[in-house]
Amino acid sequence: MSMEMLREVVKKVLNEVDVVIGYTEGFDKIHATPLFINTHEQVEKLIWSPICVHNLTTYLPSLKKKVGVIVKGCDSRTLVQYMQEGLINRENIKIIGIPCSGVISVKRLIKAVDHANIEDISFEKDGKINVKTEKGDKTIMLSDVMPDKCKTCQYPTPVVYDHLVGEPISSDKPKESVYGDIVEFDKMTLGDKLNYWLKEFDRCIRCYACRNACPMCICQDSCIAETREPHWISQRLTTQEKLMFHMIHAVHLAGRCVECGECERVCPMGIPVNKLKRKINMDMKDLFDYEPGINPDDKPPMYTFNVDELKIKEHKIG
Amino acid sequence: MSGVDPKQELRIVGFLCNWCSYGGADTAGVSRFKQPTDLRIIRVPCSGRVDPLFVVKALINGADGVLVSGCHPRDCHYSDGNFYARRRLEMLKRLLSFLGIDNRRFHYTWISASEGARWQQTVKDFTEVIHKLGPLNIKREA
Amino acid sequence: MRVGVFICHCGNNIAGTVDVKAVAEEIRKIPGVAHATTYMYTCSEPGQDEIKEAIKKYNLNRIVVAACSPRMHELTFRRTIEKAGLNKYYFEMANIREHISWVGENKEANTKKAIDVITMAVAKVMQDKPLFSSSFKINKRVLVIGGGVAGMQAALDCGDGGLEVVLVEKSPSVGGMMSRLDKTFPTIDCSICILGPKMVDVAQHEKIKLYAYSEIEDIKGYVGNYQIKIRKKATYVDWTKCTGCGACMEKCPSRNAYDYFNFGVAPTRAINIPFPQAIPKKAKIDPNYCRQFTKGKCGVCAKICPTKAINYEMQDEIVTEDVGAIIVASGYSLLDIERLPEYGGGRFPDVISGIQYERLLNASGPTAGHILRPSDNTEPKTVVFVACAGSRDKSIGVPYCSNFCCMYIAKQAILTKDHIPDSQSYVFYMDIRSPGKGYDEFTRRAQEDYGVKYIRGRVSRIYPKGKKMVVRGADTLLGTQVEVEADLVVLGTAVLSNPDAARLAEKLHISYDTFGFYVESHPKLRPVETNTSGVFLAGACQGPKDIPASVGQGSAAASKVLALFSKDMLESDPAVAKVNINKCVGCLKCVRTCPFQAIKENQLRDGRIVADVIETVCAGCGVCTSTCPCGAIQLQHFTDNQILAEVNALCQG
Repeated sequence: MSMEMLREVVKKVLNEVDVVIGYTEGFDKIHATPLFINTHEQVEKLIWSPICVHNLTTYLPSLKKKVGVIVKGCDSRTLVQYMQEGLINRENIKIIGIPCSGVISVKRLIKAVDHANIEDISFEKDGKINVKTEKGDKTIMLSDVMPDKCKTCQYPTPVVYDHLVGEPISSDKPKESVYGDIVEFDKMTLGDKLNYWLKEFDRCIRCYACRNACPMCICQDSCIAETREPHWISQRLTTQEKLMFHMIHAVHLAGRCVECGECERVCPMGIPVNKLKRKINMDMKDLFDYEPGINPDDKPPMYTFNVDELKIKEHKIG
Repeated sequence: MSGVDPKQELRIVGFLCNWCSYGGADTAGVSRFKQPTDLRIIRVPCSGRVDPLFVVKALINGADGVLVSGCHPRDCHYSDGNFYARRRLEMLKRLLSFLGIDNRRFHYTWISASEGARWQQTVKDFTEVIHKLGPLNIKREA
Repeated sequence: MRVGVFICHCGNNIAGTVDVKAVAEEIRKIPGVAHATTYMYTCSEPGQDEIKEAIKKYNLNRIVVAACSPRMHELTFRRTIEKAGLNKYYFEMANIREHISWVGENKEANTKKAIDVITMAVAKVMQDKPLFSSSFKINKRVLVIGGGVAGMQAALDCGDGGLEVVLVEKSPSVGGMMSRLDKTFPTIDCSICILGPKMVDVAQHEKIKLYAYSEIEDIKGYVGNYQIKIRKKATYVDWTKCTGCGACMEKCPSRNAYDYFNFGVAPTRAINIPFPQAIPKKAKIDPNYCRQFTKGKCGVCAKICPTKAINYEMQDEIVTEDVGAIIVASGYSLLDIERLPEYGGGRFPDVISGIQYERLLNASGPTAGHILRPSDNTEPKTVVFVACAGSRDKSIGVPYCSNFCCMYIAKQAILTKDHIPDSQSYVFYMDIRSPGKGYDEFTRRAQEDYGVKYIRGRVSRIYPKGKKMVVRGADTLLGTQVEVEADLVVLGTAVLSNPDAARLAEKLHISYDTFGFYVESHPKLRPVETNTSGVFLAGACQGPKDIPASVGQGSAAASKVLALFSKDMLESDPAVAKVNINKCVGCLKCVRTCPFQAIKENQLRDGRIVADVIETVCAGCGVCTSTCPCGAIQLQHFTDNQILAEVNALCQG
């Protein structure tokens, strides 16, 4: 994929929409930031590289305009989920898809250079990353500093788009690997699991970054975590209240989470908040053969039913 | 019968739909079908009203077991409520053990207004299971 | 907030196993509880008066009654506090009888449980909000589904009461099962002679609009305002032209059509009028047998019809009727004798069902009232009746008693003797169930005056021996095996619900039991009401029932509708879902999950999309509330906060 091609497509799309959302350089070389493009001049500011981590679709439900948006494979699933839930009007959206072979995890990158100040960074086609730091140059592999979601990515090419910039990539990751970590985790004893979660969630500072970054958390200001009508949880900082908040987040995303991983990326405490949701997704696949954000005609499983549920058997007590 | 000694009672919360299961519990009462005393019932119009988060809330805040019961599938007073309940509660049942809560502590079932004996058996069996598992204290285990 | 708590002794029902005084003492300690007391019978008039007085004396504004099940007396007490000037939704009931005193054996544990349960009710009542009903206009027309004796009675009573009635019958004539019967017990009067005039009344009643050979396609709406779609099935005969002369039937060359009216005792013609007294008396083509349909050519009836009423191109037609209430009188069906292979049902022609025998006895039946064996058209001299053929038999899936078989078997045995004086009848029975007025005398008459031999025991096997059928069974009174060589065997087959009962129930939003019989609102106190307001039951669709009971229920259902329609406006139940438009994010997940299509999207003036509840359509299930992620749509009286208050009262961290 070349930047010229991308800019050309964005310019073309800009003629049909009010705004195109893409990426531009952030406050340093390893952070990108969203760019809202209204004019052809702004197109020059566009960038595209593995530092373009954000899921830009998250802006769409609240933008009542004609919007163009740049998406990676993972981000595109959000759009499909929005369509299933009627949260966007497909006619108002122009989707510019870019096949992606992985992005960086800033945390992992910083760790890989021993927290040295990164002065410059460049990416090569074969997955090599050249990093220039105050302590010298270093070459690392993208695969070593990827977030977990990229390591098992099944959809490197967007599942929905109007323009595809670059050649489609097909996934070389085995399908079974997607929930390998979940299956492994579940093998732990109940006590170990509970202690794990209590320890993790105890660190939560209830900043709600995970919720704010989540493209499927459509309630935002109406979130029941911060209201007394209804009063599901108090503002007390007990482990139980924190656990309750994360269960609310997980249950509200049941059969909806597209696993973009934004919740986990933005968590300042590094809590694995996407894990519960991915566990539910694994069950949704098993119970209803449903995978969020793949087919616009699917119905989210929690908002529909079958009179005879083939996979749900009546439980015996105990 | 477990739970006869009030000091050894555990905390079991039941969410029962008004039309079938609450009626079934009434029928058990009218028939004098004796049951352990640990369970406290919350009446809801329909099992479809039971947000899985009520169950979570109860378990996190001190319940040792939660029982949800609605009308039999196809028999819902509101025609479809229990179909939604079935999906949501199955999702929760599978999630609980991932969280580290023994999912035997949560049971959902279908009991009609005429099934007093079935209600009695459900309460007996569920109470027994909860007593076998003992108290769940999420705070203490932290 | 000043909560009053009234704890009922219910005589000894509660006070016997719950220390009510100790409960009251504990409840008084709850902040907000201004008054807690006990009373012998809170539901009695003085008991209710005490609540009213306490409300004034202690200035109470929320009331909790701890007594029996709210399913029993919630409405009673709501009225009580309303009379005392409180909003009736400032009320909760704690069920300390059915759920505690009657089922718990340990008084100390019961007392503790009662305290918890009342504490929860107090927590909830403190979250209660005043709710107000709104009123809406009602459409004073009534739909009656089913034109059997129960449905006709209901239709006539409603019509006589001045209501417009829409009567929908799925077969080509009204009359139902009763029109097939020869005589009726215990008076032996001719069934069609007493039913026929009613059928004529239905046809001629100016208030009754009859849709025969029609079925309910779809039902929308709610009490007071239903929209009914009715499918008028194609009869291939223009009924506005058909005079019922019967010429077509006489000349029809297809003579092997199944006779639904006669339960297949003998074949009929592909174009037929089901029976001489049919209402409407119109012909109809059965396309499964008509040569015009099966072979593509014939057209005899079209040629012969003097009014040119035949129309082979006719299609089903959908019509719409608006009504305000519905009476369901859809009747029952009978167990197919083929499901009784041990009795040779369906294999041996001389083993027939009771309703088929009824047609053999009937003067307008296929044998013109002569009892003739199906196998060789000879008069049987020995007839064996088998009661409980399928009924009270778990293996058949019919554990219940079919109610009227004992009686019609006695009647048929008596009639057999009347028809064939030198015949002998035997009845195999489990118990003789004859509790109605004059019923037991009737079964005795069969035995004492008509010499019918009653053998208490089940039949194990029926098999042919020459021209006879051997009926082998036990005589449990003598403790021996018995064998009777019969010329004809009549099975008193089990009563089943209609095969399409469940489908109709789903359209009506009413419940049905495991057997497909519709469930009444209360088995004793609300026997013709359903839990869906505006829908009433009559006849055997609710459970096996004989003619007097069905007629009684028909009239009862009609009187319920007349009472409902005696007002011009109805009050809506305010315990419905309500949207907080400031919170609603317009995701409309509630619209998807509402089982009643009671939520629609609404655009506010600022362009924002929010959910909007159609109050009169909302049935109050609360599926929307547990669907809504932001808690913007709340089922009133069962809001998140109200249920959470109960959870929190019990589980406090």
